Amino acid sequence: MLLETNGLTKYFGGLAAVSHLDIYVNQGEIVGLIGPNGAGKTTAFNLITGVLRPTRGEIIFDGKEITGKKPHLIAKMGIGRTFQLASLFADFTVLENVVASFYLYPKSGFWEAMFNTSTYRKKEGYILNQAREILHLVGLDKVKDELAKNLPHGYQKVLGVARALAVKPRLLLLDEPIAGMTREEISFALGAFEKMRLQGMTILLVEHNMEIMSLCDRIIVLNFGHKIAEGLPGEVRQNEDVVQAYFGSEHAA
Amino acid sequence: MNLKSKLIKPTGLASLVILLFLLPLFVKQPYYIHIFIVTMLYIIVVSSLRTIALSGQVSVGHAAFMGIGGYFSGVVAKELGLTPWLTIPLGGLAAMLIAVLIGYPFTRVRAIYFSMVSLFGGIVIVDIIRVAQKWTGAAGLAGIPPLSPINIPGLINITFLGQKVPYYYFTLALTLVCLLILYRVEHCRVGMTWKAIAQSHLVASSVGINEAWFRVLALAVGCFFAGIAGACYAHYNLVLAPTTFGFLPSIFLVMYMLVGGRDSFAGPIIGTAILLIVPELFRWLKEFAPLILGAIMVIVVFLMPQGIAGLFDQIKAKYGQVRNRKVPENAA
Repeated sequence: MLLETNGLTKYFGGLAAVSHLDIYVNQGEIVGLIGPNGAGKTTAFNLITGVLRPTRGEIIFDGKEITGKKPHLIAKMGIGRTFQLASLFADFTVLENVVASFYLYPKSGFWEAMFNTSTYRKKEGYILNQAREILHLVGLDKVKDELAKNLPHGYQKVLGVARALAVKPRLLLLDEPIAGMTREEISFALGAFEKMRLQGMTILLVEHNMEIMSLCDRIIVLNFGHKIAEGLPGEVRQNEDVVQAYFGSEHAA
Repeated sequence: MNLKSKLIKPTGLASLVILLFLLPLFVKQPYYIHIFIVTMLYIIVVSSLRTIALSGQVSVGHAAFMGIGGYFSGVVAKELGLTPWLTIPLGGLAAMLIAVLIGYPFTRVRAIYFSMVSLFGGIVIVDIIRVAQKWTGAAGLAGIPPLSPINIPGLINITFLGQKVPYYYFTLALTLVCLLILYRVEHCRVGMTWKAIAQSHLVASSVGINEAWFRVLALAVGCFFAGIAGACYAHYNLVLAPTTFGFLPSIFLVMYMLVGGRDSFAGPIIGTAILLIVPELFRWLKEFAPLILGAIMVIVVFLMPQGIAGLFDQIKAKYGQVRNRKVPENAA
């Protein structure tokens, strides 16, 4: 098991945004975390990546407890993530976005960078090559010199993923990777994710657009901070609780 | 970019530097040399302020760190009899150390809240300088030793006391070195990381960037150079008063930066030079100086949001040659 949460709980004031959540993600799996607005999906993400500190519960990544660690340390352990909105450095070009995200590997020291030593130049050259490769993988190489803020929405989201790949993640958390995209952008993004799946990437993604289901090996459904269903995409679609959560009880009746 | 346009910038810079080195040959009045010395020192301070701003935070107490450098170097040189050549770097280190000690607890504070904290920090520092009268003097610190003579028998013999031109050349060399270092920091990975944090600290930390550390680093670098400039000012002016480093001077530093242009390395240089030298050309209008400064500020804010240095890009954008406007080929 690559990622595991036990009894993960987060209160905002008196409201339990996430309540006793137990989820797991196996190596090489693509798991979808779905649910209506306000179900606690993004909060769960923010807890796992250290942006928020859980009220109770623990998070275990690759056998080590990471509960309450700072975001940059969690990134260092191998969890990359995107954000729902503006998951990029808007004033950098597409290529610069990925280059700037190559902060951990290889890491350069302050003086090394200051004096532009040959090892530093070698590292920067390596980073540039890697960044180009990532952009090629996700299909953004044609727009690499474009300013990130000038890209169409769908491309920005995919750039967020490219940026997250720069931390060489063993687990990738994607927060609403296809939300608000046009049909063409969705197929473009799904194509990129499919390529990542072929490379054996482990992904946990949050989405309330049900279209993402085709990509997932397993689905976890949240509502009001609770896990209400879990299973294969086909099973979850039939689940009465899920239908009720999405469409209300009258529809189920 | 063709070869011709590639050469414009270095040639222009080189001629400017040569011109500055030759300046004392044409400008004989000590007062004008004085203006140039002070302007160059402030160029260092405003550039160092911009270095901090690269990480996304605008300090409104930066003059206080100039004051720490100045007072530290001045007091140590005066009381312990050390040579200013040693105390000037120590002044820079003192400013850096205090910046790190004050800055570290506030790395979670961002934007306007950081500016408020830096404002209070600056006021407190200047008050401490004022209160420590035993060392800093009741009516200002007087009797600061000038730069010690450089004397290599048979080769050179430079004395600084009472001379403007040696100070001019010293300040010019120092300014060039400081700007070179600051430019290099900005254009290596460290600078890129600062700019990344400024754009989104959340995204930056999600790729493993330690925001707190980099923000403290920006403060340390920025305040070190402010301290160096302050220390040089002390050993040039030989008298210091706390008001030189108070609230209003800090505001002026921000203003020089904004007028010149925050997005460009040349911004602080252009802004400081214009706002310190231009008023001297209108000395007969002295009583209207604040009015003129205010007018310049308003004009810049309304007409040139990227400052004077950004004007060139603005004109370019307006008349066609737009960069980064290629339409993605397979855009949806």
